[in-house]
Amino acid sequence: MSSDPTDEYLERVKSEIRAEADAARLRAPLPRKALPESSTAEAARSDGIDRGRLDYAIGELTGLQYVAFVDNAFRALLKRPADEPGKDRQLRLLAVGAGKAEVLGNLRFSSEGRRVGVRVRGLLPRYALAKMVRIPVIGYVLEWLLALAAVPLLLRHQRGADTQNAARFHDVDAHLARRAEELQALAARFDEMKRELDETRAHFAVRAESLEQRATTLELRAQALSDSISDVPDLRHHILAVNHWSVSLQRSFTEIDEAAKADAERVQSLIAAMYGAPDAIADREARGARWLAALQARANAPARVLDLGSGDGDWIARLGTHGYDAAGVEPNPFLVARARERGLTVVIDEPFAWLARCADEDLDVITCSGGLPGNDDALADAFAQLRRALKPGGWVLIDCTRSQATGVLSASRGDVARTSRAVAASGFSLDASASLTDAVLAQRR
Amino acid sequence: MLLPGLAPYDAVSNDTLSMTAALRAFGHDVTLFALHTKDIDEPVQPPETIEHWIESPDDVVIYHYCTGWEFPLQLFRRMKARRVLRYHNITPPEFFEGWSAGYVAACADGRAQLDAYAAMQCELYLGDSPFNNRDFIERGADPARCAVLPPFHHVEQLLAADPDARRLPDADGVPMLLMVGRIAPSKNDFALIDALAACRETLDPRARLLRVGKLDPNLATYGIAMREHMRVRGVEQHVIALEDASGAELRAAYAAADALVMLSAHEGFCVPLIEAMALGTPIIALGSSAIPWTLQGAGLVWDEADPYIVASSIARLRGDPDLRALLSDLGMARYRSAFAPPVLIDGLREAMARLDTVPA
Repeated sequence: MSSDPTDEYLERVKSEIRAEADAARLRAPLPRKALPESSTAEAARSDGIDRGRLDYAIGELTGLQYVAFVDNAFRALLKRPADEPGKDRQLRLLAVGAGKAEVLGNLRFSSEGRRVGVRVRGLLPRYALAKMVRIPVIGYVLEWLLALAAVPLLLRHQRGADTQNAARFHDVDAHLARRAEELQALAARFDEMKRELDETRAHFAVRAESLEQRATTLELRAQALSDSISDVPDLRHHILAVNHWSVSLQRSFTEIDEAAKADAERVQSLIAAMYGAPDAIADREARGARWLAALQARANAPARVLDLGSGDGDWIARLGTHGYDAAGVEPNPFLVARARERGLTVVIDEPFAWLARCADEDLDVITCSGGLPGNDDALADAFAQLRRALKPGGWVLIDCTRSQATGVLSASRGDVARTSRAVAASGFSLDASASLTDAVLAQRR
Repeated sequence: MLLPGLAPYDAVSNDTLSMTAALRAFGHDVTLFALHTKDIDEPVQPPETIEHWIESPDDVVIYHYCTGWEFPLQLFRRMKARRVLRYHNITPPEFFEGWSAGYVAACADGRAQLDAYAAMQCELYLGDSPFNNRDFIERGADPARCAVLPPFHHVEQLLAADPDARRLPDADGVPMLLMVGRIAPSKNDFALIDALAACRETLDPRARLLRVGKLDPNLATYGIAMREHMRVRGVEQHVIALEDASGAELRAAYAAADALVMLSAHEGFCVPLIEAMALGTPIIALGSSAIPWTLQGAGLVWDEADPYIVASSIARLRGDPDLRALLSDLGMARYRSAFAPPVLIDGLREAMARLDTVPA
C-alpha cells in the first residue's frame, strides 16, 4: 500500500509523537476528580458507597475482620459491592493465612482497581512484601528475616494481645452470665408452654371422643342406608317387568292396528261389492236421472262439478256424458280403482278434507253423493267449506238416500229435514221446486 | 445463504444481502434462510427447510458464522452440498467476564464450535480478514481452503449522504475524538476515556469525544462503570453519546472529527475504519486483531492504548496539515483499492471460482 519513504516518514512522525507523549505524561498526570459534595452524599445514600473518596490510609481499611473487611475493601477500592466469586476468592486467601495487605493490593492493583484509581497510603510496600514472600526459596528466607526483624514488635503485640484477651475473657464471662439468666427465663417459659400443651392435649382428647361418637352414629346411618340400597335389586326387577309389559303392550297395539286396518279393507271391499249389486245400480240409475234433470234446469253444461263421495263414479260419468266438467273424491280405494278403469277423474281422499284444499269460488256445482259429516261442528264446517268453494249462485245437491251404500255411512243420511235446516242456516237458499225426496238442492246466496 | 437473523443496519445482514445480490448478478439462484427477520424486503425461508432445497451435491450453502448455533454445525456434518463458512469472528468470552454472564456463555458457545468447523474441512472458509482465517488454520483447517473477502458494506450510501450535523456539537476549533461501534468491553472504552482526559490535560480542556454506538441492556453494568470512569476522569460533560446516528449524521461526525480513535482490543475486520478511510478522516488506532491488516498503514497504529500517545497524535494531526492530508489520502487509496464494492464483487467472483477448484 504505502511506499517506503511514506513508511519512513510515518515512523519518524510516530517516534516524535511518542516523545511528545512521554513529556506530556510527566507534565500532566491524568486527573482523578472527586465528585461534588452533593452528588457524593447522594451516591453514598443510595448504596452506601462513597464514590467521591479516592484517598485512604491503609489503617482505615484493615480495621474490619473477614467478610466485613472484604466487603469494605470492594466498596472502597472498586467503588462497587463485592461480587460473589471475587469475594469468595479473597476470603479463601484470608483463610489460608494471607495478610489483609495482600487482599487490598489484589483489589487495588487489578485492572478494574487501576481504572478506578483509589490511592491507599502505605499499601504498595506491604503488598510488594506480601507478593515477594511467595517467591520460592528466596521468599521463604525473606519471610524468616522479616519474622526475626519483627520479633520485638511481635512480643509487644503478644503482650497487648494477652491484655486484650483477658479483657475479652472478662467480657465473655459477663456475657455468659447474661446468657445463663436468659436461659433460666427461657426454661420457665418452656415449662409454661408445656403446661399449655398438656391442656391443649386434654382438650383434643375430649374433641376426639366426641368425634368418635359422631363417627359411630355415621356408621349406623351408613349401615341403614346400605340396607335400603339392598332393596334396589327388587326395584330393578319391577322396572324391567314394567318395561317388558310396555313392550308387549306396544306389540299388542300394533297387532290391533293391523287387524283394524285389515277389517277396514274388508269393509271397503264389501262396500264395493254391495255397490255393484244390481239393485243398487238400478237405484242409482233412477236417482241419477232425476238429479240430472234437476241440475240441467239450473246449471248449464259445461259447468264445473265436484262430487264428494263419488263411489265407482256412475254419477260423474253421467254428468260427463251430458257435457259437464265433472270430477270426484272417494276414500274407498276399490271404488276409485273401478272409476279410474272407466277413465273418470277421481281422487282417493276424505271428501271434505279434499274440499278444504279447493280454491275459493272455483266450482259451479258440488254434489254430496257420500252424504255429510255426523257431528254438528263438523257439519257446520262442511257447509262453510261448500259455500267457500262454490261460485256465487252455484248449486249444492246433497244425497239423503237411506239405502245408498258408500264408503261413508253418515248419521245425517236420509234426514232431509235436518239437512234442509242446516243448509238454510249456512247461507244457501233451498230450492224445493225440483221436488226431490231423496236429496236437498240449494243455491249459494 | 444461512444466518441467524436479518435486520436493517446490521453488519452481517448487510454482507448477506449484498452477497446475495452479487451472486444473483453472476447468474446463481440464491435463497435466504434465517431464524428471524425484521423489515427485510426479501423472501426468507425457515432454516429447517434448507435440506429440501438442496437438489445437487454441487449446490452451495453459505453460512454466516457469527454466533454459537448448533443447527448449522449439524447441517454441515450431514448435508450433501458444498459448504462455505463465511466467518465474521466471535469476540473471545474473556472480554465480558465480570460484565455479563450471558455474553460470556454466548461467546464461549460460539468459539467452542471453531474446532468442529475446522475439523470438518469445509470446501471454503471465507473470512473477513486473514486474522479471522487464522482461527481455522490454527485449528488444523487446510490453508488452501481459506480465502479472504472483506465484508460488503454500505459505505457508498454514506458517501452519497448529505451531512447532517444538527445533533452534533459546534466544532468551533475544539479538538474532537470520534469512536464508532457498539459499547462493549472489547472496544476498550476506558482507554478511550483516558485518552480524552489526556487531551484535555495536555492539549485543550474543551476537547470532546463523540461516541457513536449503542449499549446492549445486557451490558448495563459496563455502561455504569464507564460513566463512573468518566466521572473519575472528570470528562462526563465532554462525552457526547449518539446511540442511533443516521447515515447523514455519521457522515457529519466523520467530517467534524479530528480523527477516528479506534482503541478496540478485538476486531474481526472493523467496518468503521473503512468508513473513515472512504471519507478521508484520519485514524488513530490500537494495532490489535484485524486492525493492522484493515488499515495497511493508512493510519497511526500503535501497539498500546496509551492515553498520552493518543493525545499527542491528536495534537500532531491538528498542527500538521501535511500529515493529516497524507493519512487522508492513504485511507482513501486503501478504500478504493481494497474495499470499494467493485473490488469486493471481484473478490466474491474469485472465491466462487476457487470453490469450483477445491476437491470435494
